[in-house]
Amino acid sequence: MTLLEVRNLVHEFTVRGAGGLKGGVVHAVSDVSFELAAGETLGIVGETGSGKSTLARCVLQAPRPKSGSVRFQGTELVGLRGRRLKQARRQLQMVFQDPYASLNPRWRIDDLVEEPLVGYGVGNAGSRRRRVRELLDLVGLDPAVYGRRRPYELSGGQCQRVAIARAIALDPALVVCDEPVSSLDVLIQAQVLNLFEQLRTELGLSYLFISHDLALVKQVSDRVAVMHLGQLCEVGPAEALYRSPRHPYTVDLLASIPSLDPTRPPAGGRAVASGEPPSPLNPPSGCRFRTRCPRAQDQCAVERPLLREIEPGHQVACHFPEPVNAAPDGAAVDGTQPRPATVHYARP
Amino acid sequence: MSDTLLQVEDLRVRFDQRGRRVYAVNGLSYRLRAGQMLAIVGESGSGKTVSSRALMGLLPPSATVTGSARIDGVELVGMPEPEMRRHRGADIAMIFQDPTRSLNPTMRIGAQITEAIRAHARVEKDAARARAMELLSLVRISDPQRRFYEYPHQLSGGMRQRVMIAIALASDPKLLIADEATTALDVTTQAQIMDLLGELRSRLGTAIILISHDLGLAASYADDVIVMYAGRAVEYAPTRTLFAKMRMPYTRALLDAIPRLERQSHARLPITPGQPPDLTALPPGCAFEPRCARATPQCRTSRPPFAQHEVGHWWACWNPCKDGEPV
Amino acid sequence: MAVTEVPASSVLAVDETAPAPARKWLRSLAIGLPAGLLVLIFGACFVLPLVAPIPKPTGGDVLSSSLPPFSPGHLLGTDPNGNDIFSRILYGGRSSLIVAISVNLLGLALGGSLGALSAHFGGAVDTIIMRVLDVFIAFPSLVLTLAVAQSLGPSQRNTIFALAFFSIPAFARISRAATLRLREQPFMVAAKLSGTSTWRILVRHIAPNIGPQLMTFAMLGMGIIMIIEGALSFLGLGIPPPAPSWGNMIAQGQLSLSATPLLVVWPSLALFLTVIGFNQLGEALRARWSGR
Repeated sequence: MTLLEVRNLVHEFTVRGAGGLKGGVVHAVSDVSFELAAGETLGIVGETGSGKSTLARCVLQAPRPKSGSVRFQGTELVGLRGRRLKQARRQLQMVFQDPYASLNPRWRIDDLVEEPLVGYGVGNAGSRRRRVRELLDLVGLDPAVYGRRRPYELSGGQCQRVAIARAIALDPALVVCDEPVSSLDVLIQAQVLNLFEQLRTELGLSYLFISHDLALVKQVSDRVAVMHLGQLCEVGPAEALYRSPRHPYTVDLLASIPSLDPTRPPAGGRAVASGEPPSPLNPPSGCRFRTRCPRAQDQCAVERPLLREIEPGHQVACHFPEPVNAAPDGAAVDGTQPRPATVHYARP
Repeated sequence: MSDTLLQVEDLRVRFDQRGRRVYAVNGLSYRLRAGQMLAIVGESGSGKTVSSRALMGLLPPSATVTGSARIDGVELVGMPEPEMRRHRGADIAMIFQDPTRSLNPTMRIGAQITEAIRAHARVEKDAARARAMELLSLVRISDPQRRFYEYPHQLSGGMRQRVMIAIALASDPKLLIADEATTALDVTTQAQIMDLLGELRSRLGTAIILISHDLGLAASYADDVIVMYAGRAVEYAPTRTLFAKMRMPYTRALLDAIPRLERQSHARLPITPGQPPDLTALPPGCAFEPRCARATPQCRTSRPPFAQHEVGHWWACWNPCKDGEPV
Repeated sequence: MAVTEVPASSVLAVDETAPAPARKWLRSLAIGLPAGLLVLIFGACFVLPLVAPIPKPTGGDVLSSSLPPFSPGHLLGTDPNGNDIFSRILYGGRSSLIVAISVNLLGLALGGSLGALSAHFGGAVDTIIMRVLDVFIAFPSLVLTLAVAQSLGPSQRNTIFALAFFSIPAFARISRAATLRLREQPFMVAAKLSGTSTWRILVRHIAPNIGPQLMTFAMLGMGIIMIIEGALSFLGLGIPPPAPSWGNMIAQGQLSLSATPLLVVWPSLALFLTVIGFNQLGEALRARWSGR
């Protein structure tokens, strides 16, 4: 069952130039289409300026996209206002990048988690309080200890747990996660990511997981979409994207990730020769990656490549995609022993 | 060692602010040779940034620095500010995380570089300009003639960082400290910058201290790695040794927590419970003990000494990981 | 286990210029001292005349004019009209303080709300409100206030009205800017996604976050308004004589400045202390609230 269907989404915003005059138009999201099935985690990976955060916000209609369609649970969200939008959006929630900025610093944790319940008029004060305690327990925070505290008294990881508790309060179907662990320390990241996984299986959540970290996205997602300068380059199953990336940009990304094996050469070779990323104010014509692409030809400047399915479930937007199994330089495709997935450092 | 450039011994930094005493660095020792790249890895609160700022004398007045840090025999700890200013840039230079905030937005790039050049030597304007052009090419900025006259906001993040590097190199420092210099950059740009740093190291012989939370960066580029936790070095070894034989449970935990491409989707990560310690109230024993799966009663009561337990490999642990052990 | 991290690099970012006394009581002193001073002044102006035998500020006896300080029955002496100066200081303070408080309350309530609503709704509403306010701000403030005061005639109520023209747009500007900054914050988006009603957003999200800033501005504004009121009264447009206000006392006194300088000194001193009190309190509150 398709939970979320996005078609031809476009969003731009004008930037003030020198002197306050209209400086230019940032093409943040240009004609993006994808689908997300119930129970699935779709990862969106992209660098700065790729438009991935804007895409996430537009899906939620905050801000409303300039054009395009967003169908959530069968209902078209674009064009809805007020109460109708509020009802349609009830099962759609978001977790933000900065844990402190996503919580009103003057509110207490209890009230923060209760807010969606109040907003949608769920139950009475008593039942809401019970639910808040339940939710805090679910995310690993003792309600008795943390309930009456304020965000600044909590660490980043704890605040993010509060944000997650708030996001799941209304039993959402889809949670959009915009770089939810980027501002957390490495060890805390792992804790929070495990929480995401745990809630996914316990509550049957679907995620739209956005990050600039390809390894992270691959680890949490079923399918991955690679975004560059407002457009999707490649969409496919996480494993397939990693084992045989077809878009030159995906290959670049994979090659640039520093490997954790000092015996292998660092990311280098073609990734380094890529040059400067173009600006979203003035994207190249045709394929927006062509100025950094070693495979670019004349056609790439003239005709914008659209997403084409080259294998079942695997789409690429490229006129000259990489051949199958282009193992990127520096990425450990074979040879390393994968660590057992369930090693825990929990205290006995 | 005769070619030791920087020798740090028992460096300690504490802050006294608003009635609280924060023990930020609690005894850090290492040695850096000329032309070597050392990575100092740790999370926030580990003391990695503070220790480097201490070397440059860039700490606020509330900081008290003790211990020793000698560069080419010259003691940096306790050096008065006027003298420090001479060393900054000339001997040690630093590049920071956010080039947007480290560059003056109202000054042209070229002017900022020439300013750095002329801060340490009496150089004619024309000679300074020529040197600035040289530096811009050195950091692989295309079309330096044009870029010289541009403002920071006209450049991309990666280019601004290159300009920062050019400014840092203006007076030929012996040591360059890169404090999370690539954290704010995209991974593709990061690869370019790291490659550039490597090239500068081999061409100019500049030693580099790489401060980062990213073990992966250390693995790929550094000769030696120090891992810090709660203001102390907990493991110190040449990179290959460290990754082949990790001893500190904390280093292991760091490594395991890093997202890996090889992992399956929806993999459950090995997690380390708890929070980083409160630097105002450090425990008498090992600071990592509350979160460590290998902790023993001894770990809580007495702090393990940081010593060279194997050749070239230092660590501070009562119950280190053995070879071939999974956890 | 609830251990809060103290990332050491954060101490590098702490504002070293903010007054950071080592002891908590010193910090409380920064708020306590000016607050105490103001309590003293308010108490003197509003309570003292009710409980102590203070002579009337007007209707003085010409026979006892220009008495020196410490004359029997007249602590600070009398003015040329025979009015007790101390009494005039107290009652004058009442007028000045009532005006300043009223104007700032009006500014805070009306201006603050206007700015916040304007920023929250945006679009046409915002444009209209801001254009109207821009007109008021564009006038040199004193000129506008003078014009209003002149056309309405001097009285305490009219003075408040005239000064409000100056105060409301100022508060609205600040409130609007603060609200706009707030809108960028993720927790505002989260509030919308939680289905929180507009009213609730304004009252429980926006107000508590812009409140401290506006309160601080109000504190500092007290001093400003008192001085402008002083200027108005000095020019004969504020509180009309014989009712005292610090401003008109200074105006009257300056006529015989060389002969009887104390007539100017006392009200000036009172004004000075009050303004300092408000400024220091405002500053201390700002430091306290921006810390947390």
